[in-house]
Amino acid sequence: MMEWSESEEKNNSLSWLLEESALKGAKRKVRYPNHRFFGILCSYFPEELIIAFGLEPLRLLPDSANRTPAELPPFSCSLVRGILDMELRGQWEDLLGVGFVHTCDTMQCLSGIWDLAGKQKTVSMVPPVMLKAPGANRYYQEEVKSAWEQLKELIDYEPSVEELREAIRLSQRIRDKVQEIDELRGKLPSPLVSALLRAGQLMPKVEYEAALRDALPDLYQMVEESRCRARIMVTGAVLENDNLYSMIEDLGGRVVVDDTCTGFRHYSGPKREESDNPWYDLVKRYEDMPPCPCKNQSLNTRMTYLQDLASLGEVEGVIYIIRKYCEPHAWDAVPLVETLKESGIRTLVLELEGADVGGQERTRLQAFLESILENRSSAPEGSDQG
Amino acid sequence: MTEKTSKSNYRPLKSTITLKKTMKRYYVLTGYHRYWGKPTGRLIAWVTSGAPIELLRAFKIHPAYPEQYAAIYSTNKATAQLCQVAEAAGYSQDLCSYARSNIGGVLRPDLAPLGGMPKPDLLVACNNICGTVLKWYEVLARHFNVPLLVLDTPFLTGDMTDQARNYVLEQLKGMIVELEKITRRTFDLKELERQMVLSRETTGLWKEARQYCQSRPSPLNAPDLFIHMAPIVVMRGTKAGCDYYRLFRDEVKERAALSQGAVENERIRLVWDNIAIWPKVFSFNKMFTERGACFVTDTYSGGWAMDHAPGTPLESLATTYTEVFLNRSPEFRTKQLVQLIKDYQADGFVMHSNRSCKPYSLVQEVIRRRVMKETGVPGLMIEADMADPRAYAEEPIRNRVQAFLETFD
Repeated sequence: MMEWSESEEKNNSLSWLLEESALKGAKRKVRYPNHRFFGILCSYFPEELIIAFGLEPLRLLPDSANRTPAELPPFSCSLVRGILDMELRGQWEDLLGVGFVHTCDTMQCLSGIWDLAGKQKTVSMVPPVMLKAPGANRYYQEEVKSAWEQLKELIDYEPSVEELREAIRLSQRIRDKVQEIDELRGKLPSPLVSALLRAGQLMPKVEYEAALRDALPDLYQMVEESRCRARIMVTGAVLENDNLYSMIEDLGGRVVVDDTCTGFRHYSGPKREESDNPWYDLVKRYEDMPPCPCKNQSLNTRMTYLQDLASLGEVEGVIYIIRKYCEPHAWDAVPLVETLKESGIRTLVLELEGADVGGQERTRLQAFLESILENRSSAPEGSDQG
Repeated sequence: MTEKTSKSNYRPLKSTITLKKTMKRYYVLTGYHRYWGKPTGRLIAWVTSGAPIELLRAFKIHPAYPEQYAAIYSTNKATAQLCQVAEAAGYSQDLCSYARSNIGGVLRPDLAPLGGMPKPDLLVACNNICGTVLKWYEVLARHFNVPLLVLDTPFLTGDMTDQARNYVLEQLKGMIVELEKITRRTFDLKELERQMVLSRETTGLWKEARQYCQSRPSPLNAPDLFIHMAPIVVMRGTKAGCDYYRLFRDEVKERAALSQGAVENERIRLVWDNIAIWPKVFSFNKMFTERGACFVTDTYSGGWAMDHAPGTPLESLATTYTEVFLNRSPEFRTKQLVQLIKDYQADGFVMHSNRSCKPYSLVQEVIRRRVMKETGVPGLMIEADMADPRAYAEEPIRNRVQAFLETFD
């Protein structure tokens, strides 16, 4: 990987974004010596809080799926094993702290282990699981304010409410741009879009917004129709690289809808008008974003949401990614497959150790994509989905 | 129980006979709910083990516990087959074995001991024990098409917070409204208070009986605690539950007074951490008793020896059920284990790294290290599963246990 230089930034924002995505924040100290990073785990930790404090949220991603720190049993997922191992090896030592949000049991445990065995200070937040329960919004607001107090103590600085509002606006502008890219997704190479979205969780926000703005014209130029490719939706947990997307593309598919934790779900959700209460606005965004399997808006919100996404995206096949030992996603696999089957959409459940895909996955993906394309060619005239 | 027990070094409790009668009556009542439930207007709910049962009892709801049935499935050697049914339906083998065997029993009741569980009228889950219960009960709600009520008790990274208490309190109020609609009964605060008095009495007796194990030799061993915890889970807040634990308490008290140990020639005192290994509950324990080792207390069944928090009935429920130990930080659990080792004069502790229970197990290694450092006693970690016998590796476990016990020679 080349070192970053000022001239490259100006000349090619797209390359910059792709490099950031591949680096996963590894060269942050070299590339952004004047920025202070704050680690976060999971999308329910409001990034806006960190931005308001003048810090850069960095989504922690593992550098390998094969780490086995002694502090965790082998039946924990490779995401937490990898991230904890990096902490024990001092890979996060420059961070001002790490923000944990209680999503799954494993993440909750990692937070506790970090407190006892880690080096970095932590800021913990426990959002409601039942996002629409009586009192959930008020409780979430109090948790956010409590995290604000913890950050204040850690940084020894208190931002103004206006700085919080500005952080909310910046985050919304980024989401708008990501939305624009997502709308082009079906006409752009799948690994490219995946990488661009992940970069936004790994680099300074102002720079990310500017780079997206600069890269968008290039992206529009790259757009090309791809109706011959199988239209695929990918849903699942964290994917720290684009290997799966590349393989799908290599085998004749195109990811037209993405609902992964590190993909479009991280940015999606209804756009809100500003109210006079920034705390409410902040929480409402996270309350209303499409839920991950750890959260509940109502019994079938997530299933219906994914069914609608597939329908709107004219999806022909859904690939459901379960990270080994990720219970929430494993639980949702069964009802989701049933729901999509009822809609006539084929599904493939892939269990991966990390984000890497190998020969076994290639064989299964190939068979899956071929069956979709064959089904297309055998469909009667006029019934072609593509 | 189908597993054979070792008679040589094990002193059975007389109250076991009453326990069997008490539990049999409960299972019969539960199993035949369809005959008496409707005529008496009493609904049946499937409930998680950490749910505020007192509130449900105030609405005359009969509770049935999938976790408890799953333990019975396991001791009756049915879990592996039931899990395979669930796995064939798409549920990963890495998911909780209680949940998998329960779902297996729902899909194939003919394979389940006791004929499986009776169909629920509603489902009540409280996530103070894990996040799995939410996903598990979502599956059940879709399958049975019955209401699902969830009490979301925020995980406590430190002490209880005002916002967590208020949030749970608001949900309890919302739950009352829902229960009024579902049961067509009006909420009766006096009835809830009555239930809570009974519940407090039951947990108080369970707690008192356990405390007699601080004496040497300990009048109870882990299998006693695991077997005799059944009523505290399913009959909390009932007169039958209270009556049973009064009898149990008296017997344990008498044993302590007479210095009658559960294990003859008690030599090593240990603390157990995590859910029992139900398919091997006696044979696993035999490895310890034959060397004079006794589990004088445990964190698992001790979870129901809780003190009810002060306040109005709803405030008390909100705090009590949010503060359960599995909903607390490793820091809290470390202190708890250190305290147990001190109070019970334990020589060591054994942790069951339970593949089916992540919130219990994932933090155990850091707790183990810290407890050993603070107390100076050794701690053993063994990996198994609470219900699925396929995760139990006999020889490696035996070797580890033997090596651990030899350190006390």
